[in-house]
Amino acid sequence: MRLPGTRYQEHGWEQVRKLLGQCSLLAFSRSDPAQRFEPGCRIDGLGDRLGDRLGDRLGDRSGDALAEYVDLTACALRAAGRSARAEAPGNSYGESVVELALGLLFELQARPGDWAAFAAAVGSEQHKTGAFWARPGGEAMLRKKVNDMFAVLRDKVDADNYQVACGRPCSPNRIYAYRMLDTAYGDIARMFDCWRQNAGQVGVILGREVKVNAAPIEARQMKSIASCRPEWIIRWSASQERFTGAAGPLHTRSKRFASLKNSPDKIGAMLREIGDYEELSANRDGDWQQDALDAGAWLDDLARVLGAPEAAFEPDLEPDRILPASEDDFGSGEPGCGGGDNDNNDNDNNDNNNDNNNDNNNDNDNDDRQVAQLASIAAAVSLPPRFMQLARAAQDQGSWSARAMAGDSLPVRLAVYLKMLGSQDDSYPAEWLDPATGELPTMQQLAALDQVSLPTLRKRRDAAIAGLLAAARP
Amino acid sequence: MTTQDDLTAQSDSTTPSALDCKLRARLLLGVRVENDRLVLADDVLAAALDGGAGLGASERAALAGSPLTMRRLRQLSVERARAWQASSGMLRAAATVCVLEQLVTDDNCWGLHFVPGGAGWQVILKLAADAPFAPALMREQPMLRVRDGGGAVILQGRLDIDGECENAWPFDGAPAARLQLFGASFVVEALRG
Repeated sequence: MRLPGTRYQEHGWEQVRKLLGQCSLLAFSRSDPAQRFEPGCRIDGLGDRLGDRLGDRLGDRSGDALAEYVDLTACALRAAGRSARAEAPGNSYGESVVELALGLLFELQARPGDWAAFAAAVGSEQHKTGAFWARPGGEAMLRKKVNDMFAVLRDKVDADNYQVACGRPCSPNRIYAYRMLDTAYGDIARMFDCWRQNAGQVGVILGREVKVNAAPIEARQMKSIASCRPEWIIRWSASQERFTGAAGPLHTRSKRFASLKNSPDKIGAMLREIGDYEELSANRDGDWQQDALDAGAWLDDLARVLGAPEAAFEPDLEPDRILPASEDDFGSGEPGCGGGDNDNNDNDNNDNNNDNNNDNNNDNDNDDRQVAQLASIAAAVSLPPRFMQLARAAQDQGSWSARAMAGDSLPVRLAVYLKMLGSQDDSYPAEWLDPATGELPTMQQLAALDQVSLPTLRKRRDAAIAGLLAAARP
Repeated sequence: MTTQDDLTAQSDSTTPSALDCKLRARLLLGVRVENDRLVLADDVLAAALDGGAGLGASERAALAGSPLTMRRLRQLSVERARAWQASSGMLRAAATVCVLEQLVTDDNCWGLHFVPGGAGWQVILKLAADAPFAPALMREQPMLRVRDGGGAVILQGRLDIDGECENAWPFDGAPAARLQLFGASFVVEALRG
């Protein structure tokens, strides 16, 4: 199913989910994960060091566990990037399974509430049954919880993407409802195709008897989901229990689709929307909005909108035009949906480590001992001896980001770029790149250059990003 | 926070580097707020983008506090930039007196340069680097056409990496005289399938 802006609603999602599950387990792995990761990405799996306390540790409120999980899983995803599963198309906009998986992982990083819900689920299972992940079959249980987390997240992300793309309100539950209708249509279309074998239920759906010697005209006329009639969906759902033994989605005990069941108009509008967009998007090749992500022109627009003289009207007389929160049509009756709403600890800005910035960010290159030391550290992580000096000189000191990160060491700054823009970007000066790979140094190399541990570098990097974000925010 | 001033000052002083632009964009677009929603309608955002009805203080605060709405604003900004279809311009009276060297469209987004060469003239279309639709157009690379007031094609082609496109002046006689014949106007337009 395609809708404006959505990226995670097509068949490729199954593979995205599986890849995320597989790589998450690697990140949690108790075995030696180093062998499975790319060189230079040697890590200890979260579970390795945590042993029996995985559940407790995941729930750690500082956000460290999430940051570590994201880094480890991203590493595993990139290492898996050339597998057939990872390279397969994940949607019809040309994004591969691994690209979509990485995208969703980085969305998770920005949504600590969803992580907290996952951690709580692992923690509560641990309370009940102990270190379940270490027992036979326990991996599958852990993977199921990971799957649940990403299943909730994909609909949240796509609800946002939809709103951004078309400006209409949308909730994760509404995305779920679109998908339910799409699946229902698929099942009806399948039965229409084999109407003889399904004459009983096809008759119920059409509301009339189907003769075995005459193909129902409706089946021929239904060319796409846009021409599927809402009452067919309702009758299909109502008859599912009788014909398959399992209640149809509109007729379960859940209140989720209660408002839809009696609203054929709403169902019809949603079916048409899916069909119309599918027709529209089928005619456009690769016109995906992502391509303009880095164009800076909109930043000027934003500055202009926020900096323009205020509207002439008197604020007390003229009400503002802020939209009221819209009522969602779809209740969140299912378990696993809307999870994480109870834990909004996203104001945790890691401000506890600004006092120990003893890094080599004073440009004192004259000190021979320091030069020699930097050279030996650089050599130890296979970088050119003068990497630090050259990379520092290549910074644009007057730039906004350099000024905003003036208090951070060079390796921390490079770690920020690495996280925000990836290891390769055409705006990086050549002096920042590891000549061996043509990419930014890895987190491991940067930690060595900064003479700190990987978790410390990660912490400082995330603190620097939080600072940058405050500076970038209008 | 004084960051709003910083943001405004930024665009005034120096042009930010590509690295800074990307980083700021990623930072702003990467924020997620639980239960975020669109807090301003499209028409309100569009009016603010067009420079018509600006946002009030509470509306600005709402926009700044809703990353989702900011992403929508970006989308509208990108669409607006993409939606460029045509720009038109006039030959100024003074241009007829001296030799015609350059014309600019009314929106200041395009220049038309005339360079004597060989037996006739070369005509060069140049996209202004600060045109709001410039990045989108450079990516899209549509076929462009310049026509005079009579509808005759003066130039047709795609922009090179410098944002320019040129061909020989296709008519007899000097550009100024020819343009005057047909209402002294010209139009630059995109030919999209």
